[in-house]
Amino acid sequence: MTAPRATQATGNIYDLGYRGYDGPRLGRVTVGLGLLRQSLREAYGIGRGGRAKIAPFVLLAFAVFPAILAVGFRALAAQTGAGEQFEQEVPIRHDTYQSVTSLFVWLFVAAQAPELFGRDQRYGVLPLYFSRVLTRVDYALARTGGVFIAILIVTVVPQLLLTIGGILAASDPVAGLGKELPEIPRYLAVCVLESGVFSGVAAVVAAYTPRRAYAVAAIIALFIVPPIVVGIITTLSVPDVARVLLLASPSDVIDGVNGAIYGPLTLGGETFVLATLPGWVYIVTALGFVVASLAIVIRRYLTITV
Amino acid sequence: MTAGVPAIQLDHVSRWYGNVVAVNDVSFALGPGVTGLLGPNGAGKTTLLHLLAGLLAPSAGAVRVAGRPAFGDPSIYRFVGLVPEREAVPDYLTGREFVRLNADLQGLGDPGAATDRAIGTVELGDAADRPIGTYSKGMRQRIKLASALVHEPRILLLDEPFNGMDPRQRLHMMDLLRRMAAEGRAILFSSHILEEVERLAEAVLVVYAGRLAASGDFRSIRRLMTDRPHRFTIRSSDDRGLAAALLAHPAVFGLELLDGRLAVQASDLTGFARGIAPIARSAGIRLYELTATDDTLESVFSYLVRR
Amino acid sequence: MTAFRALTVVTLRALLGRRRTLLIALLGGLPILVAVLIRVGGGRPDAAPILDTLVIRTVLPLVALVLGTAALGSEIDDGTVIFQLLKPIARWRIALAKTSVAAGMTAALVLPPMVVTGLLLGGINPTSIGLAGGFTIAALVGGIAYAVGFTALGLVTSRALIVGLGYTLIWEGVLAGILEGTRFLSIRQATLGVAASLTGRDVGVEPLTPTVSLVILAAVVVTGFAIATLRLRRFQVRAAD
Repeated sequence: MTAPRATQATGNIYDLGYRGYDGPRLGRVTVGLGLLRQSLREAYGIGRGGRAKIAPFVLLAFAVFPAILAVGFRALAAQTGAGEQFEQEVPIRHDTYQSVTSLFVWLFVAAQAPELFGRDQRYGVLPLYFSRVLTRVDYALARTGGVFIAILIVTVVPQLLLTIGGILAASDPVAGLGKELPEIPRYLAVCVLESGVFSGVAAVVAAYTPRRAYAVAAIIALFIVPPIVVGIITTLSVPDVARVLLLASPSDVIDGVNGAIYGPLTLGGETFVLATLPGWVYIVTALGFVVASLAIVIRRYLTITV
Repeated sequence: MTAGVPAIQLDHVSRWYGNVVAVNDVSFALGPGVTGLLGPNGAGKTTLLHLLAGLLAPSAGAVRVAGRPAFGDPSIYRFVGLVPEREAVPDYLTGREFVRLNADLQGLGDPGAATDRAIGTVELGDAADRPIGTYSKGMRQRIKLASALVHEPRILLLDEPFNGMDPRQRLHMMDLLRRMAAEGRAILFSSHILEEVERLAEAVLVVYAGRLAASGDFRSIRRLMTDRPHRFTIRSSDDRGLAAALLAHPAVFGLELLDGRLAVQASDLTGFARGIAPIARSAGIRLYELTATDDTLESVFSYLVRR
Repeated sequence: MTAFRALTVVTLRALLGRRRTLLIALLGGLPILVAVLIRVGGGRPDAAPILDTLVIRTVLPLVALVLGTAALGSEIDDGTVIFQLLKPIARWRIALAKTSVAAGMTAALVLPPMVVTGLLLGGINPTSIGLAGGFTIAALVGGIAYAVGFTALGLVTSRALIVGLGYTLIWEGVLAGILEGTRFLSIRQATLGVAASLTGRDVGVEPLTPTVSLVILAAVVVTGFAIATLRLRRFQVRAAD
């Protein structure tokens, strides 16, 4: 056994068996979809340990719970013969569901969007993403897409439950199906726009605010404060100003979209009219929000210095 | 501090996080002087220092500084200072403001003078009025040191203090720590760099995987390990002849003839040291050079770690 | 400078002069903007809906939440709390400094715009001063309770912001409205109780009596302070990852 000497005249490089990879590589699309899948998983805390799952799943539960309640009571009412009355009086329906659960959607996206956008920036791993076949635009789209799909789940699942409940609890399932089928494209439209607008706004804030606490607070403030301001201004009757401000408030825009697709909401005989603006205005504004947020997020990742 | 009470004392201290044991039944006592806490990353050095600084509670055992329990007693911070490795300093404060803040929080009688002294000690006078956010890593280390020195603690704990320092700064800090130890302070610093510990520490604590592998002067640690072969290199007038003669000695269990020299592995240091000269003389062989090739902390450490 | 003052100053500096505080200040000033819009638009000049719905129910808890979790929680998050804890200061003093700064800044950001809003809309006469004053005093005691409670929350959980939001929006906003008995567990209801008794205005559900309200708020402050002190005493650094 030789004692190692500090001074060696020659150096050697040893072949440890490393091999290069010359085989086929998966392309941009696969990588992008992989990141999309990963974003969705992160949004629900999957693969990150128990504590990360608490917020998303609790909020999802809150969002779904009223639907479960409604289905349960509908079944009960059908059994006791009060089915008709139930249909009239129940406040939890497809058209009202958006306003019932919007709070939980806001909390969900405020809690999770900063995780998806902020962590990569905080830990400085963006160069790892950008030095691959994945482009910056792909990254922005995949991350935003992840938030979007995550929220879509939160909004669509309870509606689906209502549909299933409606079919199963109806005295005549075929008639029930007939009633529920036309609802499906309606609530899907609302859910898609709702998810698009909220995830877009949250994505913009989160992409520009790596520090989680600031991002969460800012997102929630953007969803909660404008409707209150609009509400106050409307109550104190300054309708023109209210109408304009309405369009700057994501929450009110989505309320308007819901109203546009379902018409005025009736609740126990009362009708709530949100008819300050024609329906198409809300839909166009919602689409505008989605497009604008995507553009801003993409711009953010095109110009961010890593 | 009363005389006779060790400055730092750990008694069968363990610390675990769920299934992970960070510190495993460690006991030692330290007094004035510089002690090095040596171990690879993940060995539990930072956990030990946090335990001593009262920032962690032991899961088992007792941690005492100057006879008092370290955890849950803020009064120990009058005479204990910690220079953490990981924890951040506020970027927006200037160096001077940060040190001054520490002086104020310590409730010192003349915080301004103490601040100036501390900043002078770490030689950051020029940069003291810039925000810490503009500092290099070495400067951050030094400002953390200044903030820990400002109240002239009797017990100073440093976690990887030489990280990011250039050789001149490192020498300067080593001098500083030696001087402070000579004043009677107990200084414990951690490192995974053998050369630093070898140069500065009077005594060494070797930790590995949460256990205390060895403690004391590193040469005496070495002596204790008689089951590890000691290696020597000999140049003589007749290497082969010497090898044949040495093979008869019970302390020798390995010989290798190399180019122009003989490498010997001996199990018993004292036996070999006593026997080599008579053996060579009776064989009529002249010894030109005898070198111990592994009496460094490096080999000690690698040996302990591989166990 | 005593240690306590130094603590207060460093907490203030940590909160002030950052983007976050600017945005929070804007949020606090929002009522004035709304008041101006109403005045300019010729609407009905009633400050009560603004002070009640916008401020007490929304802006006040949000501001207290952000400041409270920042006063301690964010310092724990980025590790800068260590050098404050490695000092011979009684932990209750630290708790007192942090909660005071959070409460004080909340009051400073929320209360003056309330007064301005009330006077802007109501003019300078005894009725409007009484209205503005009543709501402002209620917001003061409520704000202190919120701030202390949220500061303590920052020590209890690392996701204090979300939990605080859940409390304000879900618990106080939705459940406490549905489940009658939970009114006593709502800082908002207590604050509104004080406001109702001082201003005589309608605040929605049947308000709690002023005595009960003040007791609840005091209980929140005391409990929050106690929790903060105890958690600081038993504070341990996070495990190295």
